[in-house]
Amino acid sequence: MSICLGQIEIGRGVKSDLASILHGERWEALVWSMTEKGGCSALSLRGVSKRYGKLTALDTVDLQVKPGEIFALLGPNGAGKTTAIGCASGLIQDFEGQIEIGGYDVRKDYRVTRRLVGLVPQELNFDGFFGAREALFFQSGYYGVKPDRAKIEGMLRKFSLYDKADTNTRRLSGGMKRRLMVCKALMHDPAVLFLDEPTAGVDVELREDLWKVVRGLRDEGVTIVLTTHYLEEAEQLADRIGIINGGKILRVQPREELMLELGKRWVELSFASDVDRSVFAELRADRIEQLNGRVLRIEYDPGGAISQEEHAVGAILDRARACGLVVVDIRAGRSSLEDIFKDLLRDKGGVV
Amino acid sequence: MSSGSQLATERIRRTAEAAKGSSGWYAAWILFRREIKRFMVILGQSVVSPVITTMLYFLVFGFSLGSRLDEMGGVSYMDFLTPGLMMMSLINNSFINSAFSFFLTKVHGSVVDVLVSPLSNLQIMVAYTAASLVRGLMTSVIIWGIAAAFGANTLYDPLLTIVFMVVVSCAFSLFGLATAVVSKEFEHVNLVPNFVVVPFTFLGGVFYSISLLPEMWQTVALFNPFLYMVNGIRYGMTGVGDVGIVSCFLVSGVFFLLSAGLALTLLKSGKNLRN
Repeated sequence: MSICLGQIEIGRGVKSDLASILHGERWEALVWSMTEKGGCSALSLRGVSKRYGKLTALDTVDLQVKPGEIFALLGPNGAGKTTAIGCASGLIQDFEGQIEIGGYDVRKDYRVTRRLVGLVPQELNFDGFFGAREALFFQSGYYGVKPDRAKIEGMLRKFSLYDKADTNTRRLSGGMKRRLMVCKALMHDPAVLFLDEPTAGVDVELREDLWKVVRGLRDEGVTIVLTTHYLEEAEQLADRIGIINGGKILRVQPREELMLELGKRWVELSFASDVDRSVFAELRADRIEQLNGRVLRIEYDPGGAISQEEHAVGAILDRARACGLVVVDIRAGRSSLEDIFKDLLRDKGGVV
Repeated sequence: MSSGSQLATERIRRTAEAAKGSSGWYAAWILFRREIKRFMVILGQSVVSPVITTMLYFLVFGFSLGSRLDEMGGVSYMDFLTPGLMMMSLINNSFINSAFSFFLTKVHGSVVDVLVSPLSNLQIMVAYTAASLVRGLMTSVIIWGIAAAFGANTLYDPLLTIVFMVVVSCAFSLFGLATAVVSKEFEHVNLVPNFVVVPFTFLGGVFYSISLLPEMWQTVALFNPFLYMVNGIRYGMTGVGDVGIVSCFLVSGVFFLLSAGLALTLLKSGKNLRN
């Protein structure tokens, strides 16, 4: 709470100065939450560790999630994603460090933080005694919210559960169970929604639906933290991405920045006739691969030897023409998050 | 700060304010209602079946054996047997209700819904205990009604009887909850009713007065806590008992406090529950 007591305004320049003085990522995280005008982080983890015997599931994790953003925690299975969500949602209480939600401590002010949070757990669950309608009724009650029958009916329709509303939830299909879990997590109008692997084992249609729901919630002011090992999901949904492996946060960045910084650009050019390797130097690229006689794949690393201006497709075409080559076709793209992720983990000596 | 961020900050602030104004006891009331509704959904298993089982005891012991006995401990055998069977049913149903209900939410995974809700451990405990108390009282009152219809006269001190039943029922509900929290398998939950409740209530004088036993076994029987529970309700309903009512309340009260302490400690520790 202490950070949020005063509304401290420090310019961004000052922030980085402070951070450099204070050193260390933890201080940087702290300084960040001070600089955002008038508010706390939606979720803040400081020095959070969780050990199960000899296994370290979380290793001094520092993380700040800003209000209103969609934050994706991306990592392979066993990286510590679910443990992090478990600690923040109040399920796991035995951890080191401090976690706050909206400035409230998850252990000291648990009544407030749990009311703030909606959790969609990773493991499919059900209530073997009741149907979806009853389950939703009780669920909102557990949060001290008087169950609203009209709202329940609306949610059942919105999540296509209406036809099976009185069927024992045990007998619902996997996709329906997942939808019901999302429904349940939303019954008390949470301010922060945790989605733990929301689309694991979910078909494409339902995945698209869920993404739509998530974006809709963000527009209503719900802060969203999702964990995923699907890179596409993080790329499609997230405003910022945290990469986690072996219980450590390797990097947290806005999605575009991450792509820009780590994303390789490539251009595939098809020429009218075979290309001789002697022109490669003239074309200027970090890497050139001759896919066949007439097709070249030209790659640029961010921060590589070639300047950003020279990456531009126009510039590349100009250079090709200057070499007397006739371009007949062109394809361009950048590396996917998957490639980035693999590179990152390789750099850190991690295993994908 | 962007408008999206402002909207979200405002939403956090508003929700937190709403949370501060709530004590959580309304939530406990809803959990209690869920628990009541749960055993009502399976009424055949939860109430009808134990009542029928107890009726079999009435038939076998009450009628076949009872017709050959003039009295037991100073009252008719039917009057003697009714409180014993009611106590056995009360203990079993109170234990089984919270133990199985809570354990099943662990198996189904929906226990997470309660564990991450703002409900405190105490509130969870109170809701489960109160619901099990309702089921325990319900089955034993039905048994009493049937016995009364067959001529049992057991209204010596109704108020004392009810108070005593509440104490014992809560104690076993709490013990059931504690058992469910630590259990990993169905077998663990079943251990208590099969190897503790049934043998020790049988030996605790449900069917006979311990004064019929050889002297040495009478002394041994005094170390069986179930003896005090059976005789406590019997005193309340008929005015007779092998042991004094004060010691009955003492033993049951101590068991209640121990079970409550155990259940709360286990819920707080989160062992086999939150990790």
